[in-house]
Amino acid sequence: MNQAAIIPAKNADEQLSLRIERCVSVADGVVALTLAKADGGPLPGWSPGAHIDLILPNGVTRQYSLCGDPADTSRWRIGVLLAPASRGGSSYIHSELRAGDRLVASHPRNNFPLDPAERYLFIAGGIGITPILPMLAELSARGAEWHLLYGGRTARSMAFTDEIATLAGGTLELCPEDECGLLDLDACLTAHEPGRAVYCCGPEPLIEAVENRCASWPSGALRKERFAPSERQTPLDPGAFEVELARSGRRVVVPADRSMLSVLEDAGCAITNSCRAGICGTCLVRVLAGIPEHNDDILNDQQREAGDVVLPCVSRSRTATLVLDL
Amino acid sequence: MLDTKQVRGGNGLAAIDAEVDEILQSVEEITRDATKSFFDKYSENPNKAVLASWLETRCWREIDYVFLLNEQIRRYGMRFQRNHITLLAKQSFQEAEHYEALGKAVESLGGIVPTSVPVAAVPWSNFLWECMDRHHLAAIAAWYVSETSASGSFEPTFVGAERHGHTDVVKIYKQIEIDEKFHTGLGRQVLSTYAETDEDREEILRAMRGMRDIAWKSFTPEVVAATMRAA
Repeated sequence: MNQAAIIPAKNADEQLSLRIERCVSVADGVVALTLAKADGGPLPGWSPGAHIDLILPNGVTRQYSLCGDPADTSRWRIGVLLAPASRGGSSYIHSELRAGDRLVASHPRNNFPLDPAERYLFIAGGIGITPILPMLAELSARGAEWHLLYGGRTARSMAFTDEIATLAGGTLELCPEDECGLLDLDACLTAHEPGRAVYCCGPEPLIEAVENRCASWPSGALRKERFAPSERQTPLDPGAFEVELARSGRRVVVPADRSMLSVLEDAGCAITNSCRAGICGTCLVRVLAGIPEHNDDILNDQQREAGDVVLPCVSRSRTATLVLDL
Repeated sequence: MLDTKQVRGGNGLAAIDAEVDEILQSVEEITRDATKSFFDKYSENPNKAVLASWLETRCWREIDYVFLLNEQIRRYGMRFQRNHITLLAKQSFQEAEHYEALGKAVESLGGIVPTSVPVAAVPWSNFLWECMDRHHLAAIAAWYVSETSASGSFEPTFVGAERHGHTDVVKIYKQIEIDEKFHTGLGRQVLSTYAETDEDREEILRAMRGMRDIAWKSFTPEVVAATMRAA
């Protein structure tokens, strides 16, 4: 499978066989899975902000942030929220998976790394706490200054609050919506502060609200990780769609009269290909979000249904944005 | 990697799918063994002239495909959808690229790029052209098997050539491996789209069985040795 090297991931294609060590409820609608290597060996290293692709036994692939201790190579931990509109990812994990079950996962990749700064502001919404949790732990260990603004629907729905409360060096502001209303972003995002890094992860409305307040800030001052691709502000021409390159966050528009493959090549992605007609399958790319419109002749019905791969030479997108593992 | 045997087309091969797949699987395996055997023998005495001779036969296949595909389009192309004419022509172009690239590899090993059928390739070439004369799908069925047989040769070629530092050969075959996916997928799609009658299917099977018995032979160390003795 093509994984163009914008941010190369070591052994990105290699899959790991994992065993669920523990599966516990950590908040309303949230379970934490502790994962170990099926053969008992050490797991690949990772850094705060990293995520893995989990390939579920039902064929569905989903991305989950690692939220355990990066120093512990014997186990990983992920937090999974039961999404109301689940298409077979979180609902499968919640209803079907138990301790002892086997899973397949990718090596960790990090599109949301913790960069050096004098101090940090973290804004987390709901399950968006998961990539931030190991960042807080690392900063506490370093003695760095941090502040976390953490919102959720209710206090009981907010995962890992007990763990965060034990971390030294930072300040925690918990804001359950049913008690405090929405997060007070205006109070903490009044102006860009040199030396302060702002990290945000959560549902799309939260990210949009933070982006709006930081729109005039220098590029890179706000680091964010989305659960799903954002909506465009300007409409696309009929037949056009947008592709987000997950490893860099870059976005390119595929016009109605051009193939996705040729646009990706113009954007600098080196994608193996031969027929450019949907027959050879060599340009196969992994889909991380969005729904592909399959026009090829080689994917079988199950692969089409799963929607987690696409042949960009002939296929397009049924959603405004398609996020590819490039 | 996706399996090009699952390419969508028509139902023309449905009645013979099992035998078609059995032929493809067996030719791939026997070619893999023949190629491994060649490189095992080559390792005992890594004489570049032997490798050049082995590649000359394969090089000829590439240019013979060019002739054959263009003749296929000239004779029978108007029976096909226009996109299939385009794809057959594209395959022909890629085969020409392979002939050029392999030709450079042959020359770098001190060999001579073939401009007529090498002795070791005569049975293969004759059979292909005989198929072309018999039926509008027979030559496609034959090269579908031949191209699949080549797929079996890639891994032992990579290992064997790399072991002896022939990185240019590895590089060329890496590209050929990518293009073979297209060629085998196209072969399957054309056959399944245009096979309509039992006679069509019988001609397809005849061509595939015949090529199964020929395709792998030029990969063996014995054939290469015999070719070099003859030269």
